[in-house]
Amino acid sequence: MGVDWGSFAEGFSTAIQFENLIFIVIGGLLGTIVGMLPGLGPATAVAVLIPVTFGMEPTSALILLGAIYYGAMYGGSRSSILINTPGDGSAIAATFDGYPMTRKGQAGQALTLATLASLVGGFIAMIGFVFLAQPLAQFALKFGPAEYFFLLLFTLSAVVSLSKGNMLKGFISMFLGLLITTIGIDSQSGVYRFTFGVPHLSEGVDFLVVIIGIYAVGEVLYNILLLKDDSYRIKEDVGNKWITKEQFKRSFWPALRQSPVGFLIGILPGAGGSIASMISYSTEQQLSKKSDEFGKGAPEGLAAPESSNNAAAVGAFIPLLTMGIPGSGTTAVILGALIMLGLQPGPMLFQNQPEVVWTFVNSLFIGNIALVIMNILLIGFLIKILKTPANILYPIILLLAFIGTYTLGYSTIDFFILMIFGVIGLFMKILNIPSAPLILAVIIGNQLEQNFRMASVSYDSVFGMMTASPIAIFFVIITVLSVFLPMLLNRLARIKR
Amino acid sequence: MKIKFKWMALAMLLATFIISGCSSSGDAEYPSKNIEIIAPATPGGGWDATARAIQNVLDKEGIVEQNMNVVNKPGGGGEVGWQYLKGKDAHDISVNSSLVIANNLLGQSELTYEDFTPLAILATEWISIAVPEKSDIEDGIDLLDRLKEDPASLTIAVGPALGNNDHLSFVRVAEEYGVDVSKLRFLVYESGGDVLTALLGGHVDLATFSLSESLEQNEAGNIRVLATTADETIDGIPSWQDQGIDFTFPHWRGLMGPPDMTEEEIAYWDNALSEMVETEGWKNVLENNGWDNYYMNSKETKAFLDEQNEMYKELIDKAGLGN
Repeated sequence: MGVDWGSFAEGFSTAIQFENLIFIVIGGLLGTIVGMLPGLGPATAVAVLIPVTFGMEPTSALILLGAIYYGAMYGGSRSSILINTPGDGSAIAATFDGYPMTRKGQAGQALTLATLASLVGGFIAMIGFVFLAQPLAQFALKFGPAEYFFLLLFTLSAVVSLSKGNMLKGFISMFLGLLITTIGIDSQSGVYRFTFGVPHLSEGVDFLVVIIGIYAVGEVLYNILLLKDDSYRIKEDVGNKWITKEQFKRSFWPALRQSPVGFLIGILPGAGGSIASMISYSTEQQLSKKSDEFGKGAPEGLAAPESSNNAAAVGAFIPLLTMGIPGSGTTAVILGALIMLGLQPGPMLFQNQPEVVWTFVNSLFIGNIALVIMNILLIGFLIKILKTPANILYPIILLLAFIGTYTLGYSTIDFFILMIFGVIGLFMKILNIPSAPLILAVIIGNQLEQNFRMASVSYDSVFGMMTASPIAIFFVIITVLSVFLPMLLNRLARIKR
Repeated sequence: MKIKFKWMALAMLLATFIISGCSSSGDAEYPSKNIEIIAPATPGGGWDATARAIQNVLDKEGIVEQNMNVVNKPGGGGEVGWQYLKGKDAHDISVNSSLVIANNLLGQSELTYEDFTPLAILATEWISIAVPEKSDIEDGIDLLDRLKEDPASLTIAVGPALGNNDHLSFVRVAEEYGVDVSKLRFLVYESGGDVLTALLGGHVDLATFSLSESLEQNEAGNIRVLATTADETIDGIPSWQDQGIDFTFPHWRGLMGPPDMTEEEIAYWDNALSEMVETEGWKNVLENNGWDNYYMNSKETKAFLDEQNEMYKELIDKAGLGN
């Protein structure tokens, strides 16, 4: 398939029309702000603002929705870096090294670095989009239940293996997460599990409530306990905005090589930013010569997941625009909006209305640049958050946590769940149990189980599942490696000594 | 932070004015205050789309003068939203579908359709049976013949839950043709989109999902739709009736109100909704979503729901899903 450069050029000229540029800026700004709030990720941001697009030109509406989505992706990592509370699943990995950088007095640099890494991810993914959209969409279709199961299993094992030297704590955290995902109706059989007659629980526990509870509420509780302990306080000095040469050098290659990884994972329907950023973070840690510094403010540990999840955000548009299949919660919402506007994303869109697609792709290019500028300008304002006295900042975070939770299910039952996980988060911090395996398990646990169950209907044995296709075999092998290779290397290193 | 606070305070103040301004109008005539349209699902889904479309058309065409808000009450396949509706007065109405009947029959809800006041059936979709492009199954009858011989020979994708229309409609056709439906192998996917993906990738042998989701891929030649549950041929795709099986199955959407609405209140909605379905705006909504007009007024809706209830009872028993 060649690229239709005529439509591409036409799309570019539409995207830079004044009106559309305004939509890009407004959407990007709204998205950034909403994305920063705990629990209010891209899906909510887009859903809430859909009514605004009614009556708009379909192309402009698509541009606006895309910009909101993108802005929220940029915004999500802001709160991860500054106050250790991710706005969404895909921003969790940004807390691993982003927040330690803030603690070290490098908040400004961390924000700039994350922004630039996002730009790299976005750009590479868009180049991929322009040239490879159709063949990659076909590739994504090769993922059936067995392939998904092993991909998800690999993601889990990669994250558990992050908790080096303390695999046991990592496994405890993961199992707790998997237990939580058994709550709710079981799709394959229609049986209700652990819902205790509460209708709200039939859909399971929303992973965003778990994230907000463990991070935002847990963090606030922990800080309140330590309020008097001066050693824990973040340094007043928030550092330079501009990244150093060394930081650039260390993060350039990781950001570059994790972009295609994120892009490919983003294309798979159902995978997306959370999985992409976790896989990118853990592979960079394995590859790095300075892997001890991961988790303590390594710039590459922030750059890799940030470029990866942004690339995944672009990738998610491929199944949507080429096949009409939404690959993530956000693109599902966008699909609904597009149908209301009279656009039918799907195989015919590229043929019937190529200018719409290419205008949109070009608007993403422009939007990315606009967002980088906006985000760097915002840094000065954002780091003021750190200077807010704790007795004002923490109540605000708690308030936002409750508001964010309410918008997820419009139910007060979620408040109890939020508080339960806040306390769990507090104890995990005190006991030094890593929270990432738990969160990831909550995000993907249900998919993991359902895909396994579906695969066991399609294949007679587990061996049949493992050898279902080259893709399945590939993931089986790297799953095994991700668990045992670090152990083996550790052993070897000890023997040498 | 300070700036944010100011804005928040301003917004709250504004909201207070608006709310108090609207509720001050007299309460003698229905509707006397803001109307809430409940979408018992998250923003972005089918129910949400229906609720927002109704609100949009009624408002734009000036059919309903009161302010209307869509509220999302997701969870439990409508259960959460409908429980909420049950405790409200006639200024709340909710979108519904056959789940208002099926949930109870499946033992998943205490609520029945009789707990509410039926207002209208508005639109319907039809359900399609499709196979991957390379499949050697020729048509609907060929498919049923194979399943009659060995019901476990094919995997069938359905979503998002067993007991929904897509699932039950296929069970019904197969059962009428003499297939042992208890042995059918269903894979339950999270959504219609996932079902389509599985079909395109050839991970299942056939799929049952709404025609609006399969139509475009069928035209593009990536999948083959073998039959629909419609009462006529649509875009060249034969219905089951065209293939000699006397069977139709609508996937309808309607509106209902809380229990015990008065005659006047019901009449108000009969007027408003019968006017709405005639507007260009509503016809556009149907067209964009791939829905068909299926309007019935409150009386017809009541009779229709009784009929549907009988049919679902029988179906769910046969599929072995009832309690």
